[in-house]
Amino acid sequence: MNWAWFHKLGSPKWFYSWSKAWALPVFCFGCLCLVIGLVWGLAFAPADYQQGNSFRIIYIHVPVAMLAQSCYLAMGIAGVVFLVWQMKMSPIFIKAMAPVGAIMALIALVSGAIWGKPTWGTWWVWDARLTSVLVLFLLYMGIIALQNTIDDVLLANKAAAVLSVVGLINLPIIKYSVVLLETLHQGPTFTLTKKPEMPAEMWLPLLFSVIGLYCFVAGLVLWRMQSEILLREHRSSWVKQEVTENGL
Amino acid sequence: MTYSSFLKAEFLVLWRRKQDVFNALLFFIIVVVLFPIGVNSSPEFLAPAAAGIIWCATVLAVLMALESTFKEDHRDGSLEQLVVSGLSLPLLIVLKIIAQWLVVMLPLLITMPLLAEMLYLPSSGFWALIGTLLVGSPSLFFIGVIGGALTVSIKQGAMLVMLLILPFYLPVIIFSTLAVKAAQAGLPYSGFLAMLLAMSLLSLVISPFMTAIAVKASVNA
Repeated sequence: MNWAWFHKLGSPKWFYSWSKAWALPVFCFGCLCLVIGLVWGLAFAPADYQQGNSFRIIYIHVPVAMLAQSCYLAMGIAGVVFLVWQMKMSPIFIKAMAPVGAIMALIALVSGAIWGKPTWGTWWVWDARLTSVLVLFLLYMGIIALQNTIDDVLLANKAAAVLSVVGLINLPIIKYSVVLLETLHQGPTFTLTKKPEMPAEMWLPLLFSVIGLYCFVAGLVLWRMQSEILLREHRSSWVKQEVTENGL
Repeated sequence: MTYSSFLKAEFLVLWRRKQDVFNALLFFIIVVVLFPIGVNSSPEFLAPAAAGIIWCATVLAVLMALESTFKEDHRDGSLEQLVVSGLSLPLLIVLKIIAQWLVVMLPLLITMPLLAEMLYLPSSGFWALIGTLLVGSPSLFFIGVIGGALTVSIKQGAMLVMLLILPFYLPVIIFSTLAVKAAQAGLPYSGFLAMLLAMSLLSLVISPFMTAIAVKASVNA
């Protein structure tokens, strides 16, 4: 297999033309899966024997919470890549990803609170998982604040990368807080090693919405990266040509 | 410049700017005093809350002190001299933190018996509190200095440093207050101290390198 296309993605120009072809299909596929998963889950899946219909928020809460962590993991990896190999695309990726991840963490917190009210009888408890997701949200906001405060682009790139890498330490705490510590939060819904403990008509829509949300976010981030590339490379000739030919 | 002359110069600079160190101490005491006045001054509230209050105040005072760690050096150009000195930058940063830690933490520790008495902390918890401060506070310095280095070139960096660094302090605060609570209940607390020591050592391993990257980026910018 020819891997030449892969390292070309490190160049903003190549990445721009590549992502232009991929963003829309990925985004549409994501929307389709998300709609299937949500409609199936919210309207047709059987009710839980214990929680009744209130469990249906799982089809929003679980995908969003997974994305909140995955986005940070991706940012952390991009941070390492930038600090080690100085790849030009990584800071653009971090900048495009941070607000999306922050929104995901916020929706996870809010949907969790809404789910917590009928099942636990309270909007919020200071337990390990909830607190660590709150910290994750604050980390996202810190990275966004750092990028907005530092005017010097090179310094802002480095600073955001350093902070993303250091913040990775929070992810295992979130991931294993429900397994290792005593908490009110239930155990993980999906694991790679075991079959899910719910019937297929309950976990299939969840799978659809998880995959859908991943693709949805991927498309969104590709678009955000495109506009960031145009902004950063506005002096280069290919951007001028691109904008005059195709418009913004 | 050698490592020992650098350490000596650091202590000398901190000694000449004693007012800054003194300000951090005063800030610490004022934050502690806020709680009995603002929340509740009864011993029933203060005795269990004392460790948490002292730790929150410590964290804020340390961040206030760290925000200016590299600022003066950046302004007078000595930060650039550190980068081009040919000595290992992470090691210089470790030395700098050692100097800062001694100068900031020792006065805090000296005021501790007085503040513990004012907050009605029972003597069973006092030595646990001192232990958590000794073992846990190095991690505060090592983590916080990353924030200080990242915001060197920003004029109003203090607020941003708080925003960036405070989330990383939460585990340290959690384990410290758990240790003091365990001591107050008569339970063994050495496990919590071991966790704090582990965090300090982990941050000692990671932070000097991250700080060096941030310092180099700030100097070049």
